[in-house]
Amino acid sequence: MNKTDEQGGLGKYFVVYLCMLVITALEVGIAYRHPGGAQLLASMLFLAFIGALLGILYFMRLAAEKQSLVVAFAVFTLFVLATMNYGWTDSLRLLHGAPFAK
Amino acid sequence: MSHADLAVGGHTPAMEPSPFAIPAKKLAMWLFIIADIMTFAGCLVAYGFLRNATPDWPRPFQPSTIGGIMVMTFILITSALTMVLGVRAARAGDRAAAFRWTMITLAGGLLFALLHIREWFGMIDRGVTLYKNPWGTGLFGGAYFSVTGMELLHVIAGLIALLIVGLGYKRGRYTSDDIENCGLFWQFINIVWMFVVPLVYLLNIAS
Repeated sequence: MNKTDEQGGLGKYFVVYLCMLVITALEVGIAYRHPGGAQLLASMLFLAFIGALLGILYFMRLAAEKQSLVVAFAVFTLFVLATMNYGWTDSLRLLHGAPFAK
Repeated sequence: MSHADLAVGGHTPAMEPSPFAIPAKKLAMWLFIIADIMTFAGCLVAYGFLRNATPDWPRPFQPSTIGGIMVMTFILITSALTMVLGVRAARAGDRAAAFRWTMITLAGGLLFALLHIREWFGMIDRGVTLYKNPWGTGLFGGAYFSVTGMELLHVIAGLIALLIVGLGYKRGRYTSDDIENCGLFWQFINIVWMFVVPLVYLLNIAS
């Protein structure tokens, strides 16, 4: 965080704050309108991701850091997070019981 | 040219410049946060795996519980904003304001933690433990307490850090960089909660 940024207005932080509250309200609304299903999960994760991105970029000030830092962190983090999703197919196999379920 | 030569010369810094042009402590905090992202992601993916692979996964959360969770979310997001204000004040050299905002953040976090514990006791009163619950699969309690417990553990660690660094900063022991590092950790807790709420609570609303 540099001096120029500190002297700037607080407006963007309040906008991010309001966006996070709105995202939470949207999630609750969606959860009660569509109780269940893959579409609900996708909507929830999408909204949570948007909220997290706003938090990381503005509240954690990553947007103001050097681009090389952003790229270095983003590439490795997203890669590992993506590889963690390797197990979903197995959870579906367990759920539907085929093949090799028993 | 050796490091010693560089140091004697006086024209070039003896040490290599900080990677990514940020202080070493801040870089360490970012690396810790990345490692912690992996820990939380591992927990949430394991939770998702269990939930997806279990046909009779319980959906126990009543509107009253969801209301409580929304209040907790509001408090945590507000505390994230007050932390930003604290970091800004610290960077501007306003020790009194930075301390005040840090303590407001601490109070918000403390309230969040108390409400979280209250919510846990509510679940325990309904018969949910690590190994059993009244609704079916015994895995629910373990998964629920693991994910939310991990969050609560981080909140408590964050509160301790805020208290120590906030008081230390007021007395001149710590610098604005330390407040900023504390702020990074607090924001991270807030971001993780944004995933815990939909995955653990909103996807399991009682129908």
